Formats: sequence, C-alpha cells, structure tokens
Amino acid sequence: MITAGNRSALGTLAWWLIRAQFRSRRAATLLSMLAIGLGVALGYAIHLINDAALADFARAMKSVQGDPDAVIAARDSAGSVPLADINQLARDPAVLVVAPVIETRVRIDDSPIPVSLIGLDVFSAAAVMPQLMPRHDDRAVLDNIFAGGVYASPTLLERLGLRPGDALTLVRGEQRWRTTISGDLPATHPDEQLLVADIAWVQQRFGPAEAVSEGRVRLAPDADLSTWRTTLAQRLPAGLLIRAADDDSARLSNLSRAYRVNLNVLALVALLTGAFLVFATQLTAVAQRSTQFALLGVLGLSPRMRLLQVLLEGLAIGLPGSLLGLSLGYILAVAFTQLLGGDLGGGYFSDSAPLIVPALVPALAFLALGCLASLTGAFYPAYLNRTQALAQALTSGFSQRPAAIVASPSRLALPALLALAAFALAQLPPLFELPLAGYATIALVLAAGIASAPLLTQTMFGWLSERPLPAPQRIALQNVAQAPLMAQVAASGLIVSFALTASMVIMVSSFRVAVDHWLDHVLPAPLYLRSKATPLPQPLLDALATPDAPFARIERMATASLTLDPRRPKVALLVRELERDNPAARLPFTGPVLTPPVAMPLVWISEPMHEIYRVGAGETLRLPLLGREVDVFVGGVWRDYARQFGAVVISRDDYLSLGGDFQPTDLALWPLPGQQSVAVAWLAPPIERYGLELADSAAIRELSLSIFDKSFAVTYALEAAAMLIGLFGLAVTLAASVWLRARELATLAALGFDRRMLSTAVMLEGALIAGVGLLIGLGCGVAIGSVLTHVVNPQAFHWRMPLAIPWPMVVAGAAITLAAAVLASRYAARQATRLAVAQVLASAQ
Amino acid sequence: MLLLANLEKRHATAARPLFSGLALTVAAGEIVALVGESGVGKSTLLNCIAGLENADSGSIRIGPQAVDIAKLDESARAALRARNIGFVFQAFHVLPTLTVAQNIAVPLLLCGVPAKEHGRRTRALLERVGLSGFGPRWPASLSGGELQRVAIARALIHQPALILADEPTGNLDPRTAHEILALLLERVREQDVSALVVTHSQQVASCCDRILTLTPDGLS
Repeated sequence: MITAGNRSALGTLAWWLIRAQFRSRRAATLLSMLAIGLGVALGYAIHLINDAALADFARAMKSVQGDPDAVIAARDSAGSVPLADINQLARDPAVLVVAPVIETRVRIDDSPIPVSLIGLDVFSAAAVMPQLMPRHDDRAVLDNIFAGGVYASPTLLERLGLRPGDALTLVRGEQRWRTTISGDLPATHPDEQLLVADIAWVQQRFGPAEAVSEGRVRLAPDADLSTWRTTLAQRLPAGLLIRAADDDSARLSNLSRAYRVNLNVLALVALLTGAFLVFATQLTAVAQRSTQFALLGVLGLSPRMRLLQVLLEGLAIGLPGSLLGLSLGYILAVAFTQLLGGDLGGGYFSDSAPLIVPALVPALAFLALGCLASLTGAFYPAYLNRTQALAQALTSGFSQRPAAIVASPSRLALPALLALAAFALAQLPPLFELPLAGYATIALVLAAGIASAPLLTQTMFGWLSERPLPAPQRIALQNVAQAPLMAQVAASGLIVSFALTASMVIMVSSFRVAVDHWLDHVLPAPLYLRSKATPLPQPLLDALATPDAPFARIERMATASLTLDPRRPKVALLVRELERDNPAARLPFTGPVLTPPVAMPLVWISEPMHEIYRVGAGETLRLPLLGREVDVFVGGVWRDYARQFGAVVISRDDYLSLGGDFQPTDLALWPLPGQQSVAVAWLAPPIERYGLELADSAAIRELSLSIFDKSFAVTYALEAAAMLIGLFGLAVTLAASVWLRARELATLAALGFDRRMLSTAVMLEGALIAGVGLLIGLGCGVAIGSVLTHVVNPQAFHWRMPLAIPWPMVVAGAAITLAAAVLASRYAARQATRLAVAQVLASAQ
Repeated sequence: MLLLANLEKRHATAARPLFSGLALTVAAGEIVALVGESGVGKSTLLNCIAGLENADSGSIRIGPQAVDIAKLDESARAALRARNIGFVFQAFHVLPTLTVAQNIAVPLLLCGVPAKEHGRRTRALLERVGLSGFGPRWPASLSGGELQRVAIARALIHQPALILADEPTGNLDPRTAHEILALLLERVREQDVSALVVTHSQQVASCCDRILTLTPDGLS
C-alpha cells in the first residue's frame, strides 16, 4: 500500500528503472518517441494551419464584407437584389442600416488578373463596413467619391505601381472605363486587392440597373436576429436569401471540413503507429525484464506498482515524444503554410500564408493525445507484467504462452466477429456528414487482421512443422507455431503498415484510373478557352462565328453559381450548348438518362450534388434560377471530379427559354483538320487583349494528373514511414525473441547447430512471420482499399469510382517488404550467432 | 519470527497433498536448514511462506506482529515482504541495469526510506559484506561470489524479521560457498533475524542451528 511517506521513495525506484530501460534500449525507445512525436506533429500542424487559414479567411471576408448582422443576396450568382426590396428593408423597424453593395470583377489596364470592384454608399457603409471606408488623397484629381474615381487597397496600389492621382482603365468584357485613383483603403486586409467606388458610379457603368449585388444589414440594438430572420424569410422573394454571420462560419468550415478530417485521420494513423511501436517496445521490454520485475515483486513491489511502472515507462516515451511533436508541429505548420498555403494545396482558400498562432489549450490537448497513445500502447504489456506469476517468472522468465492467448479454433470467433462488425459499419451512412463509420470500419478490419494472426500462425506452421524438413527449418516453424504472442507482436506491425499502404495504393490507383477515364470524356475538344472572371467579349464571339475563323466546331458554356443552402458552399451552374436529347455525348453519366414526362426544364446533376442534396435521376428539383424558384426535372447524374460541392448542367436552350441571358465564359474549340497551330495563332491577339486563358486538352490532362499526384505526396511519405516502422517492429521483436530463447539457441549450438544453421533458423522465422503479416496485411489492405474507395471517398468528398487494384504493384510491394523483412531479421540472426554459448548455458537467466 | 501452523498445499492434479499439517516455529536469531529430496516441495513451501503461492489451509505468521500472510491480499503480501522478509537466491538475481549500491537500496525504497538516507546505510553494509567501494560498479563486472554478497547485503539492509534463502551457495565453488555461508550466518545472527535456508548441502545444513527434513509425511 502506498502512503504519502513512501511515495517519493517509490518514485526514485521508478526513475531508476526508467533510466535503466532507456539506457539499455536506446534505439527502440527513441524510435517510439519519434513515432509518437510524428503523430502529434502532424495532427498539431494540421490543426494550427487550418485554424490560421480559417481565421485568415474570416478576417479577409470581414475586410471585404464588413461585419453585418445579415446579408440579403441573390441565390443565383447571375442574379441581383432589386432596389425596391432594399428600400422596403430599410423601412423595417428592426433594421438600423442597410448598406447596398454592387460587386463586380474588372481588369485594370489590360492586366490579366481581375480584381474586385465594390460600389458602396459611404454613409451606410460606415456603419456596416468600416474596413472598406475610403481615404481621400490630396493628390486626387477629383474632389470626392461622388465625383467618380476609385479607391484602391494598399496592396493593389503596390502591385500596380500606382498612386493617388494616377489614371487607369477598368475593363470588363468589351466595356472600358477611364478613371483616376482618388485615394486608398487603409483598413483593408493586407492580402486584399480591391477597388472601391461610389455605388451610383459603378451601377451606371457596370449595372445592374435598379438592383444591387447585396444588401448588408445592421439590426437595431433591441432586434432579435433569429426572429427577424424567420419573419423576413417568409416574405422574401424566392430568388433571394438571408445569410447570417454564423452561416458564413459554417460555410467556411464546410468548405475544407472533409479534407481536414482526412488529414487528421492520417495524423491519427501516424499516432496509432506510434502507439503500436510503444506496444512492441514495451512488450519486448517486459519480456526481457520479466525476471527483474519478478524479483522486484518478490522483494515487495506490489502488482499495482508493477503495472504502473510499465505505464510510467510508456509515459516517459510519450511525454517527451509529444513535446517534440508540438515543436515539430509548429515548425511544420510554418513551413507548410509558406510552401503550400493555408489549405496544404487543397485549393479551398487563398494562396497567402496565414499567420500561425499557437494557443495553450489545443497544445495541451495534443500533448495529452500523444501521452494517451503512448499509454494505450503500454497498457497490455503493463497488464501482462502485473499478472505474471512471480515464482515462475523468477526461475524461467517470461511466459510466451499465457493461457489467454493460446490459439484454438474458438479463437476464430474474435476475428470473425470483428470482421462482421466491420462489414456492418461499412453499410452505415455518414455521421455529421463525415465518414466516421468508415474510419471505424478500417480500425475494425485492422483489429480483425491482428486478432487472426495467432490462429493462422499456429494452424499453418503447426501443420508445416510436422512435415519432414531439415533441422533449421523445422526449428523455425516450430518456434513460430509455439510462440504465437511474439509472432503476433512481430507480425502486427507489418499487418498494419502493409494493410494501410496497400489500401492507399489501391484507393489512389482506383481514383487515378477513374480520373483518367473521366478526363477522356469531359475533354472532347482539342482546345479550351476561358475568361477568368467576366463573360467572354462579344467581339471575340462574333469573330469566332465568321467563316474566317479556323474552327470546325465551337461549343459555348456559361458558368454561374447557385446558393441552395446558405450554410453550404455554392453549387456550380453550367449552361452548356449540348443536345437535350443526347447529353451522354458530353456528360459521363453514372446511371440512366431520362427525359421529363411533361414539358419542363431539364437538368443533369453531378454526383457530388446527388450525394450532398440527396436528389436523384427522375426527381424534380426546385432551383433558384433567374430571381425565382424553378422546378426542373433531373434527367441524370454525371460523374464530376472537378467540383466537390456539386454542379448542375442545363442546356442553353432551356436556360434561354426560362428568360436567362446566355453570356459564355468558356469555349470548347475544334480547329479545322490540321490547323491547330493556325487556330492557336488566330486566338493569340484576343487572348492578349482580353486576358483570357487557352489550354489544349493534353495540357489540361497533364496538369490535372500532376495536381492529383501532388495532393497525395504527403500520403506516400506517411506510407513509407509506416512500412519502415513495421519493419523496425519486426526486427526489434525478433531480436527480443532471440534474447528470450538464448538458452534454447545456446543448447542447439552445444548440440551441434553451426552458426549458419542458427542464422538460417532465425532468418527463416523472420521470413515466416513477415509472410503471415504480409498475407493478412494484403487481405486487410484490399478490404480497407474497398472501404476507402466505396465508403470514405463518397461520404467525405462525394466522389465515386470503381475499384481498380493494381496487382503487379501490390504484389511487388509485398515481395520487396518480404525481402526487407528477411534483411531486418538478419539483425536478430547475427545476435543468435554471436551468443556466448558456454556463458549462456552456465547462466541461470 | 516465523510461525507455521497446520499448513497444507496440494496440486490440483495430484491425488495426495504435497504437504499437510506442517507446523514450524523459527525464533528470532535462529537459523533453520530445510533439506529434502528434489520435488518434495521445499521451494513450494518457501513460496507459500513468501506469499508467492497460496497454501490450501493453515497459517503463516511472520514478524514481530505475527501477521498471517496467508490471509492477506496480493498487495498486502507485497508490503509485508517488503518490510519483513529478505531473500537470497541461488541465481543471485541482481538487477543488471542498476549499480551495486542501487541494487542494495531497492528494499529501502520499497519500505519508503527516502533516497538521501541510503548512502550511509549501503556503504556500511557493503563494508560488512566485504565490498567496500563497490557501490558505483555495475553487476556485470562482479564475480559470482561478489554478486551473492550483494544479494546478502540487499536481503539485510532493511532489517527484516525473516530471511528466506534458497540454495544460497548452489552456484558457487566450495571455497566461495564457505565464505558466503559464513558471512550470511554471521550477519543474520548479528541482526537477530530468523532465517530459513533451503539447501541440498549437508555442509550448509550443518552450520545452521537446526536441520529439518521435508518428506511426503511432513517435517522431521
């Protein structure tokens, strides 16, 4: 029983033992520490980066949008808010101020990069958007904002090399307006490049007539936002929506949520690998020191203290590992944001590097997570240490076959049960819009694989060892068959690492094959021309329609966006010139293509839209189009890997018949046969003049696949680390096994086994264990690959794809790992051949 | 002091008990040798006395308070061993990753004696067992006789009421064995401790105060 008086004495003993353990098992301890550190570092870095990116994005949004209580906007990005509605809103007693805003994109002096031009009313904007308030400069040619002129953010002025008083031309399509810079915007976010002008001036030049882009609302102090919102929503025209501040936060969070969670799961895998390494290290440490722990037990160290000692040793690995991880995480976060931006190349936020600010509570949480992983890894060895029979352990050391883990046919029940539970979980829908059940399935598949190792080992090698074989082979087989715990520990590292690696290879390969096929379908034309922000200029479209243009065929497309739910990212609206009766010629459908039973607008939705909004082919969908709600018939679901948050395709004819204004933004171009270079030369002047982008389909395909490969680079690095850890676990466990069987091996040497035979036996043992690990790992890998492909990807990213297992790559990987495992077991074999036979036999230990 | 009364131990598969009705008293300062054929149950008896195995019936009272170890749970047995029993084994069982001084101090730590008090006591005892200056050395550099001296020092440092020695000279050459036995008996008598020495050696047994033989019929 521990009293306050002897606590410090026991602490001293614990410290002596920890120090001794670290001294005698330096490499294994350091590697475990590093693995825990890596898991914490990745998780913490992802947290820091994401937190900083979201905060930065929110700050940037606030800089442009101000801090309104709510925003009234059109659901359709091509739509606008009628001034009549803004005026009516201004008369609402609950509303203090409505600041009307017109926002458009313009190019400056033919610069290819478009910037935002925000037209505002300075009186109302002062209350809602103080960050956008212009500062008039003495060098300005015009007297004030009402006289015309634009105000530029400091960053934009710096980029353009302009200053107040200078003249510039604003270009939007074929519209060109000459004006001057009247001042700057001192309170905007440092990354922001935008222009502000008086709303009437902007409206007069760029439209829309009698309407604005948004109305930003500040409510009266006594007004309740949710009540007001509910009331207003009932009388708001169908084409408009109310967006509150928390909708913006939710939308921001939703934007990168699945990507973020997936990265966090990868970090968790690294942390679990660390926990496994602690498990392997501590189990072998307990096995090696079983006599010492038994002696301490005999001398009076209580069972509880023997358990605590191993847990403390686990914590002594986890705590410094986690602290190292926190420091490394911070460094990684800073480095990654500088190199890849705030979304790690995910493409969700701007390219700027956000400021990384560590906070105490998350740091403590990650520290605790690292320690918890380490303690989890140490728990089973600690439990074994607590339950070892002292008298027996003192004389004969660690029992390799405690009753609880002896394999028997009834032990099949556990892996079978785990596999069944995994199968059941894989059928569940997403929880909180995340594939949580999918992740749990993966954990269960791994657990089932590890649980099946002892039974498979004993059954397979027990039978084989009874065959007539040379002595070293028979010894190796018998040993693996009779020591299932050590075999399980050694194999489990390979099971986990190979299963995860194989599954990622399978998933990435399936995805890549699917993207490749998809690109074939969605890039039928040799050339693609697009405008970066504004509709394509009419003179160019007119020129393309003349017989002189060297093109055999041109298909036009206009893009816009629709807000179906203010808390979710917008859905893309693609208005395309395609045959209403034969959309499959251009869209890669995943199911039947239907025609509407009655005359009604027809749309085809993308797979992500089908997954997110739970709407399918043959159903009727209500879309906010052209300022009103329109019922459309869903004619089919098509595959789309480009727009994660959904897309709707409507034919140009249907769009026009609904009253839409078709303003193309993208062109698919088929040059006349043999005239591709002539076509490119023909397009060069308008591209230069209007700041357009031209790409050939091969370049788009190459770029898409290179982005795809880059986005999986981090995953490949983690897979390599996992394989190394698995191999290290095998080497460490085999070495420990040799150490534990020193007397047996020394006896064999005394009986006439030469060094080569001993070495062969130990290396064969390594190869057999690795073989079992790889076999189970392969099975688990295929299962997890299927879960990633068919459950996690559709639920997290709304992408579906057929399973494509790259067998040559997987089998080659298994063969290389087996060879590496044999090499790793050479380390243990060398130990076996170096045993001082006489000394070992004379020693009682 | 050690007091056994009506002690019985049987193995689950055996028809008759390993021993039954055992009674034994070892007074303070008395050294008793326990001899007997292999497999008769000497080590099992020692394990039962140390609380490492459970006796099927009877009582085992140890120390000045005569606490019955058979009635204690596992943690209380460990605490009783820590305070009242010292062990000497045939295989020495010195912790290879601790220094000689740390090995000797382990029972002090288990009794809750703060580390700052260890130095004086370990130095004094090292001197008494003929290992002055060996404190900072590692066990790997010691001979078998020196290791057993370390084990004796460890068994005595916390001034236990009972010493249990299992073949303490079994792994030593005759000359070293004689020296070690003499040292053990001298220190045990000096500290007025009860001692039970399991041995196959008549020479060792003859040096003890009393010799008991364990047979299937009991102690004689």
